[in-house]
Amino acid sequence: MARARTVSKDKVPFLPDERIEDEAKLLLDEWAEKQSDPITVPVPIEDIIELHLGLEFSISDLKTELGHSDVLGAIWFGDRRIKVDESLDFNQYPRMRGRYFFTLAHEVGHWRLHRQHLAEDPNALRLFDKDGEPAFVCRSTEKPREEWQADTFASLVLMPKQLVRDAWCDWRGTDDPVRIGDLPVCDFHGKIEADQNMAMERFCKPMAERFEVSAQAMRIRLQKLGLMVEEIEPKLF
Amino acid sequence: MVNSRLSIPWLDLNMAKSHHTFGDLLRATRVAKGYSLRKFAQMADMSPTYLSQVEQGKIERPPTADRVQKMAELLGQNVDEWIALAGRVSKEMEQILHSNPEGMPALLRAAKGLTAAQLKQLVEEAERKKESGGKR
Repeated sequence: MARARTVSKDKVPFLPDERIEDEAKLLLDEWAEKQSDPITVPVPIEDIIELHLGLEFSISDLKTELGHSDVLGAIWFGDRRIKVDESLDFNQYPRMRGRYFFTLAHEVGHWRLHRQHLAEDPNALRLFDKDGEPAFVCRSTEKPREEWQADTFASLVLMPKQLVRDAWCDWRGTDDPVRIGDLPVCDFHGKIEADQNMAMERFCKPMAERFEVSAQAMRIRLQKLGLMVEEIEPKLF
Repeated sequence: MVNSRLSIPWLDLNMAKSHHTFGDLLRATRVAKGYSLRKFAQMADMSPTYLSQVEQGKIERPPTADRVQKMAELLGQNVDEWIALAGRVSKEMEQILHSNPEGMPALLRAAKGLTAAQLKQLVEEAERKKESGGKR
């Protein structure tokens, strides 16, 4: 059993969120152009991987193959291959539906954001060896810079700003944000933040289902877009 | 995995020859037809993990002939060819062999080594014999 090397911290340069968003938007535009149709939700990330990017995709026992108990996905740049762990197959584990799509989009993030950088790094050439180790092993417990960037990309590609805003308006009947403190708290964990997160995630579940992401991922996105806020700014008119 | 390519040389194996394994052929054909792994698994009534294992050749035994037939039909491929490439024998072929356990194996042994053109002639001759036999 080959044991994969995990890329050390800050293997990649800093990227501002705007740059990551541009790349996510470019990918969606490419797909829309290929389909001659505007992008709709849920974003067909599986089709984008295999039919647009031409990457080989498979579901595998990665935990055994790579020797990490918390591995979710991995990408091999040289072989143009993405694998996700079989524990994400939501046909067998329905609760993993959102995590499955997010992991796929996360690996695409590595492909679009980091492939060129590593290709230009002479020290990283061995990452491209045939049958070699994956360029990135993505684990649930380790989050160096490249993993945060890939997570950001996944969030932006699966939940594009305008499509989230449109869906919010469609669902709420208004583009007004919701005040977090107004949401009913049903679970009490003794920590305000945890209770509020649970309340928000319960509230935004319909949106999460529409975009096929986890309620947690949708909650973070809605907060980032200012649709779930601590305080609502009073309107002047 | 049984490599039955040589036993059915009259079939168009151009596509099969360009792939190393049945799994490679299955994946390439699926993608060429525009189906994602999960979409095709749904169509073929199997789990995405199982289909992926078949494509990666990570299964102890090849999929059943019925499953291969379904996949081949969904992808518009030659069913006999795909069943053979998967290392299976269809129920129909088993029934044919069992229908005449002496004559059929003897026929296959005798036909072994013939060229594609010769086999085609043999098939046509057999068809003629069956037709003329029906008129008597």
